[in-house]
Amino acid sequence: MLAYIGRRALLAVFTVWAISVLSFAIIQLPPGDYVTSYIAQMASMGSVVTDEEAQNLRIQYGLGQPIYVQYYKWVRLIAQGNFGMSMEWRRPVTEVIGERLWLTVVVSVSALILTWALALPIGIYSAVRQYSVGDYVATFVGFIGLAVPNFLLALVLLYLGFILFNAHIGGLFSPEFQDAPWSAARAWDLAKHLPIPALILGLAGTAQQIRIMRANLLDELRKPYVVTARSKGLSEARVILRYPVRVALNPFASTIGYTLPYIVSGSIIVSLVLGLPTVGPLLLKALIAQDMFLAGTIVLLLGVMTVIGTLISDIVLVWIDPRIRLEDT
Amino acid sequence: MATLVLPVEDQRVFVASQWQLMWWRFRKHRLAVASGIVVLGFYGIVVGADFLAYADPNASEAQRSLMPPQSIHWLDGGRFNPHVYAVKGARDPQSFKRVYRADPGEKIPLRFFAEGFEYRFLGLIPTTRHLIGVEPGLDASRAIFVLGTDVQGRDLFSRLMYGTRISLTIGLFGVAASLVLGVVLGGLSGFYGGMTDTLIQRVIEILRSIPTIPLWMGLAAALPREWSVLQIYFAITIIISLLGWTELARVVRGRFLALREEDFVVSARLVGCSEMRTIFVHMVPAFMSHIIAATTLALPAMIISETALSFLGLGLRPPAISWGVLLQHAQNVQTVAISPWLMLPAVPVIIVVMAFNFLGDGLRDAADPY
Amino acid sequence: MRMLRSRRTIALAVAAVGIVAAAGALAQSKSTLIGKLEGPEVVTDAAKFPRTFREAPQLAEQVKAGKLPPVAERIGQDPLVIKPLHEIGKYGGTWRGGFTGPADFWNGYRCCSGPDHLLFWDYTGDKVTPNIAKGYEMQDGGRTLVLHLRRGMKWSDGKPFTADDFVFWFEDIYRNKDLVPTPSAAMAINGKQGVLEKVDTYTVKFKFPEPYYMLPDVLAGSTDLAGQAWRGAFGLGGYAPAHYLKQFHPKYAGQAEVEKKAKDAKFDSWVRMFFNRSDWSLNPELPVITPWKTVTPINTPTWTLERNPYSVFVDPAGNQLPYIDRVVLTLAENLEVINLRAIAGEYDFQARHLDLAKVPVFIENQAKGGYKLYLDPGDYGGDMIIKFNLSYEADPEIAKWMNTTDFRRALALGIDRDQLNETFWLGTGTPSSVVPADNNKYNPGPEYRKLWATLDLKKANEMLDKVGLAKKDAEGFRLRTDGKGRLRLEIMTLGGQFLQFTQIAEMIREQWKKIGIDLVVQEVERSLALQRTAANEQQLGAWNNDGSEHLFTFPTHVFPFDTIAVVASSGPLYAKWFQSAGTQGKEPPARMKELMAKFKRAYGVPEKERIQLGKDVWKITAEEVYIIGVIGMGPASMGVRVVKTNMGNIPSRQYNSPDGKTPTISRPVTFYWK
Repeated sequence: MLAYIGRRALLAVFTVWAISVLSFAIIQLPPGDYVTSYIAQMASMGSVVTDEEAQNLRIQYGLGQPIYVQYYKWVRLIAQGNFGMSMEWRRPVTEVIGERLWLTVVVSVSALILTWALALPIGIYSAVRQYSVGDYVATFVGFIGLAVPNFLLALVLLYLGFILFNAHIGGLFSPEFQDAPWSAARAWDLAKHLPIPALILGLAGTAQQIRIMRANLLDELRKPYVVTARSKGLSEARVILRYPVRVALNPFASTIGYTLPYIVSGSIIVSLVLGLPTVGPLLLKALIAQDMFLAGTIVLLLGVMTVIGTLISDIVLVWIDPRIRLEDT
Repeated sequence: MATLVLPVEDQRVFVASQWQLMWWRFRKHRLAVASGIVVLGFYGIVVGADFLAYADPNASEAQRSLMPPQSIHWLDGGRFNPHVYAVKGARDPQSFKRVYRADPGEKIPLRFFAEGFEYRFLGLIPTTRHLIGVEPGLDASRAIFVLGTDVQGRDLFSRLMYGTRISLTIGLFGVAASLVLGVVLGGLSGFYGGMTDTLIQRVIEILRSIPTIPLWMGLAAALPREWSVLQIYFAITIIISLLGWTELARVVRGRFLALREEDFVVSARLVGCSEMRTIFVHMVPAFMSHIIAATTLALPAMIISETALSFLGLGLRPPAISWGVLLQHAQNVQTVAISPWLMLPAVPVIIVVMAFNFLGDGLRDAADPY
Repeated sequence: MRMLRSRRTIALAVAAVGIVAAAGALAQSKSTLIGKLEGPEVVTDAAKFPRTFREAPQLAEQVKAGKLPPVAERIGQDPLVIKPLHEIGKYGGTWRGGFTGPADFWNGYRCCSGPDHLLFWDYTGDKVTPNIAKGYEMQDGGRTLVLHLRRGMKWSDGKPFTADDFVFWFEDIYRNKDLVPTPSAAMAINGKQGVLEKVDTYTVKFKFPEPYYMLPDVLAGSTDLAGQAWRGAFGLGGYAPAHYLKQFHPKYAGQAEVEKKAKDAKFDSWVRMFFNRSDWSLNPELPVITPWKTVTPINTPTWTLERNPYSVFVDPAGNQLPYIDRVVLTLAENLEVINLRAIAGEYDFQARHLDLAKVPVFIENQAKGGYKLYLDPGDYGGDMIIKFNLSYEADPEIAKWMNTTDFRRALALGIDRDQLNETFWLGTGTPSSVVPADNNKYNPGPEYRKLWATLDLKKANEMLDKVGLAKKDAEGFRLRTDGKGRLRLEIMTLGGQFLQFTQIAEMIREQWKKIGIDLVVQEVERSLALQRTAANEQQLGAWNNDGSEHLFTFPTHVFPFDTIAVVASSGPLYAKWFQSAGTQGKEPPARMKELMAKFKRAYGVPEKERIQLGKDVWKITAEEVYIIGVIGMGPASMGVRVVKTNMGNIPSRQYNSPDGKTPTISRPVTFYWK
């Protein structure tokens, strides 16, 4: 068991390194660099940046050097706990991200909770009443989240929120609470802004979870012990809930590991439309502006989250189901 | 004790072929069957898009900008004579909206198999016949706009037909690419195991850990802008499929691992079959159904990805028409508030995605009939 | 048949009447959203200056507590007196707005910088008036400009604002090669740099080797000499807070010291730190002379600016301006969100980032949001223009046609401007050539409005046939004369701008089919556009020519002026030739050289002659159609304005111009809450 964990952990480190290289490379793919993007922005506002100034900027930002040198610089900074300076925000990357990271987690966790709240009952019902009308209706509802283009839905909800409820448009805080210190009122303000993002993001993940839940439960329900329990006279509800559901939840629970990062990256577009101060819109803007360190750090962060999540999931899975351990050899 | 004699139908079960069993199982899932029919219907639209569209999808006209959908009146004084009313519009000086008034006095009869703009049916036969239309030569105020028009006055229904064609075929190419990559790499991984497996698994894990959007943006931005719309179209499908194959590879690998130890495979090897033969003749057919199911489920993901890419401005661009492009035009406040019919392209997206999902579920349920 | 024809005729007649009626109504309605140009005035007659002053209550408290000197001392002896548009206002309140991120510094400059120009425009955008400088004289045949500063004026931290701040800027910043590697063209006439000298504590002098009559305009416009808030972060602007910046400058603090400071603060170099500390939008500790100063910087989710207690602006009754205490700009990274917030009434005064296409939604929600919608059309001839890259070389056939005047004219005649105006400007623009509004002093005459700017398919087709493009292919597109198939032109557009350039280009594509031209529309993102333009690879580019109403301070979109241009340049190689005085780049054709010569001359001659030269420049541009004018004088670019109904001193129409830093030209210091 320990050997297995050790091996997986080692592989995880290697994966993280590969992700760092890949994320850096991806950021550099588009033509030009931050200075090009910066000049373009200046020019479109009527300020001219001469060639000499551009050269100077490149030297100052260290953009003149070849990519592997820049990458090495970045890795060295990370080793020192410093993720570099964001050229667009002119602040350390950690400061720019730091404010938004935990907000991202809050939104994603809310979405996750909503997903489960929907997926579990629907999944169970669907497995128990397979092929019934109720099954179809429930599955339909569950899958709608997957099918509706979520950016359009976000805009519609934003508008309806304003027209019907005079809700504050987008964001996670009303202006008066944006920079205020923490208080019960601020927390309540945040809670008021969460339903729309959580709904849109949560609906998207529901379908997948329904499938897993249903498939697992169906497998369990066919097992002999269920027949035994029934024949012994237990009520249907107890038969299902008491054991099969709990067993079916096990692999389900192990998927938490990579569901969270999945939701985080899946929320990029919706966050942009809703104007949420999360990591998503930050990443998009950084990619467009080619703000190397900021974009690279966020991509790396998301990648690392996924790797850790998968690692945890796999360990949990192995712990529960010894067969998989053997399969992996 | 008397032996049980099963009714004839159940006896059929014992002698039925694998595919027949699958079909019977599939049929039980009514929603999946219905979805299958829906999907076929959509691909019918793909083939007949030009025929179903009645207006040139690029013909713009400011005087019919943002017309709401017209209602077709089927009866005229008790007789079957489908027609629409002529519509005139102008910009209201107070509200700045374009306001259209239908004139019940002027009826424009609807014709079936009418003459319209020229196109080539199936790319070969030049013709001008469309499903519906009006008398040729009438001006802009006397035409049909079943689903209304967009900002440039282009008919939404016709654009939707062409959009369906591109969106559904882009999905196919992408899925085909994912399929090839997934089966090959997943198969190698599962069949050989060991070092190959570990390597491929790591690659999959790395690819899955990177958030898709930066990857898309990086790759899409690296595409040379000189490429024609068509070339970019193909490049986009390849890009999307680069991430889609991982799921399929996992399934294939899992199947290979499970089957590797099965009796029939071992015996095939012992008898002396080459590896290639073992794989393709004996193993692949065993999980073909799983592949089909997984592929069907990959398609809706392609479609959603295409709309997401268009939203980011990376996917297909005008003058190409796809669901993503149409939704991109609708992604603004004035559409939601004033011209909501422009959001109608979301409906086929929803229907198709749901249909493919149910179809895929049904196929997967039926995939393992034993 | 006869019935049908008569029905058709009647219908046509009805339609015609309807259109006329609608047009009439539209013209009338345009006036409910488009008001009369008006604005506050700067009082220059010293006799009318107030003698006693009042201040905002919270500042009065601080004076009582001994934390601030009395208001008269803070303002000095020469206040900058601004007569509000309607009435004297009241103190108090917060002005909420929206911005899109750390790159959106125009937002704050346009609302809250005062402006801190030495000279500025009056509300008509036409006349140069004193601003931070209380007066000026041109001497020595235009070679010297003397500026009189305001006695007793102070920086926001109480230190005196004197000629020393100008000397510091000129000697230690502008002339420092690390900070400013390339001298600015604004400080030069005919390529020869000038100097800035101190005369006495409150007088400075610009001296040039040749007459530079344009200098007052340059100081008033949005140029490199336009004040610290605008250009301080690049080491330009004309003056700088010497007492504060010295600590970051190697000459005063020592090279080793500034380098250490930079390293500690995690900057790549002392230069980066110096500019960071000089940035009006980033550094709350920077002493400023703007009426509001940054409290929470632009790279946070809320950009807050608060009143400057040492503000030199006052109203004629002696109240120190601004009336409004605080400006709060909240971040919204998505344009739809900003627009929706404006629609919902979450902003008090917002003119930036609002989308013309959403005007009906704004109107619908005016009552609910408690605001009024205004439209401020610009005075420039091209809300949308199409530039030909005249120095294009990559494809000789295309290059040949782009340099054929009648080819360009024919293309201009093939555009149905009324269609575009109705679809994208909601009818509020004016189909036009590139020349500015009729009342602009450089306008060459009313006959130029429609010159080569109407829809004339017959003539366009004739002209194209005549220049040698008569052969067409099976689908009606003209063929190249070198045998390589269809003549295809490419136009580059940027997405996500104030105007839907890509969609407009698509419509033009459909229109040009009728004259046999195949147009390929390529939407690119900014960096790529820049690269291609710089590499002289772009053929046509769509953009707008805002700023061109101030021909000499904003010539970027009039002829090939800038070597770096985004999306659209009329000739990067010609711009190089122009900027390098003929040593680099490619020599332009005769008529363009004539235009460039006249343009250059105008900087050194008195106003009367300059106006004639300006008119000539526009004449040549309009006749040669270097740039196709599509729709002009429209409100698409920052002309859609929402203002809360209870805000006072709001003009019904303001001069919409980048030089005017609209809305600063309406003097937001005089806005107040009723």
